[in-house]
Amino acid sequence: MDEAVAEYIRRTVLKIPRDEIKMMLQKWGFLSETQLQTVNFHQIKDNISQDVVQLCEENSANIKQAAVLDIVYNHIYPNKRMWSVYQMNKTEEEMEFFDLTDFKKKFKRRLRSTLKNVTINFREYEDNAIWIRIAWGTPYTKPNQYKSSYVVYHSQTPYVFISASVLKSNLPLLCQALVVASNYHDIREMELRSHSLNSLKDIVFKRFTQNFQTYYPRPLQENKVAPESADLRIIQENRKEKEKIERLNREVFGDGPQPKLEFAQYKLETMFKSDPKMDVLDKREPFRCLVKFSSPHLLESLKSLSPAGLADAPLSPLLTCIPQKARNYFKIREKKCLFPGSFVSP
Amino acid sequence: GVFAHLEMLEVQAHEAAVKEEEKEREEEKLARLKARVEELRLRRDELQAKVDLQQKGQLGKEGVVSDPAQPSAQAVLQWKIKSVKAMLQVFYLTGISGKLTKRGVCFCISTAYEGTYLDSYYLDLLIKPEVQIHRHSIPIFIPLEQIAKKYLQTDIKRFLSVLSDHLNAYVGRRYQADQLQEHFSDQIEGTLQRNSLCNLLVFNYNVSSKSKTFLFNVRLLYGDLSCSLPTEVVISCTPDAPASLAETAAAHSELFRRVALHKAFRS
Repeated sequence: MDEAVAEYIRRTVLKIPRDEIKMMLQKWGFLSETQLQTVNFHQIKDNISQDVVQLCEENSANIKQAAVLDIVYNHIYPNKRMWSVYQMNKTEEEMEFFDLTDFKKKFKRRLRSTLKNVTINFREYEDNAIWIRIAWGTPYTKPNQYKSSYVVYHSQTPYVFISASVLKSNLPLLCQALVVASNYHDIREMELRSHSLNSLKDIVFKRFTQNFQTYYPRPLQENKVAPESADLRIIQENRKEKEKIERLNREVFGDGPQPKLEFAQYKLETMFKSDPKMDVLDKREPFRCLVKFSSPHLLESLKSLSPAGLADAPLSPLLTCIPQKARNYFKIREKKCLFPGSFVSP
Repeated sequence: GVFAHLEMLEVQAHEAAVKEEEKEREEEKLARLKARVEELRLRRDELQAKVDLQQKGQLGKEGVVSDPAQPSAQAVLQWKIKSVKAMLQVFYLTGISGKLTKRGVCFCISTAYEGTYLDSYYLDLLIKPEVQIHRHSIPIFIPLEQIAKKYLQTDIKRFLSVLSDHLNAYVGRRYQADQLQEHFSDQIEGTLQRNSLCNLLVFNYNVSSKSKTFLFNVRLLYGDLSCSLPTEVVISCTPDAPASLAETAAAHSELFRRVALHKAFRS
């Protein structure tokens, strides 16, 4: 077995938390159960990784098989990477039978025709997600396994989730291969990025709970009403206001959990509206400003702003349109018409 | 001396008398208020009894204060609400129901396959300035834009009906594939390859003939997206299979084309 492969497997195992190593090796499926039984998973990780490398040596692992372990790790911990969403377009309206083997063949062929030194791995999952791992090399060097890119694609959808590596120069190549393999025309990057892959999927596949008005009583998750304080001397003076805020909030955000985004960025290119007497800016040019909201869970925190009394309900549509518009990067420019205002660029 | 003393006593007596009077007045006031409280309590009990009686009168035909021949307005309203709710329930069960919103209509398409109710999908439409889709929860792989381009402006009924067909067919195909994987996993070799729309299924299954098992590879293509049966079935077997199996393959192919996937396997 190659030294490089051994080192790569060793380093990948070291990344995994100790309690999960056995489970991940089982998911990998490269080592047999009997082989796994021989490893003591309670020793320090250094030793565990050495034992695993030893076993892989016995099975003569190659780099492709080692790469699958990397995919398993990234599938279980996708939130360690930053994911961007790309959208593909096509003009033909004919219906596609998405054939997985066909897709894989076309993708590999396209990529390899331009760059020979790449390691490409595919892995399909139950939810129709296809995970592609690509390790990039150059015409003269072998692929760098430690800076691999990941692509997640759900068949017959126009969206691709890419976690690019540092080597941004390979991105056009990757995009082209995707477009060709999936029979689309072109691809563009959307203004939507986050660490939480599942939340990005929720947003573009519209899986998050939107509040639709229907007659049929949907099983409403009863919001846990805080138990009325047993002390009858405490009277809620603003009960009506509170209920109104709750209602407005629910209409905008829906009842269920929000997709997890870490930030929203607004680039302002609007004119500074000041009192003419103040005369702050002599030149009538846009005031450039960047506003960034960050939070471990941005949408949930926005949802709790009004009930906490920190903001008026309803919130500004610039904040609440994030899941609907599927973007968290905005450019706000002046509206070029009689009424000065601002509009969000598409 | 004495007069001063007398004066003082007089003043004291006067004060005492005033106090006495005040006390009397207070006591009178208290007694009156108590009486009033009693009065109000009695009245409250009376009214409570009346309300109870009236409620009982509605449930059963006991002697009631109001005229039993005329149902109370409240009862009529309750009956109306119940029948409207039942009507809405019926509409919901037919599969397509809608509710007027401030700016348009919100439709709910409920899907089902052979008696099992499956997912519901929502469409929020705006009416002005032209009919357009505001929000929806339709899965991304259903060709919503195409169907909307064709029918949304011209014939909304057709639009809803076509969309409903697509959605029902999709959940039907998905249900068949899920059932196959759940109940017949022992007959399937390897994994069932499918895609998001469930319109291409490829899998291998075992066929036994003359005490030997052979592997058939099946490729089901569902060309019509509003249909839950395949349009094309390709069955191939391993090269070492006897020729007689070709007939079985043809028969199976016919079966898959006509019958739902999990039912075909059951037979």
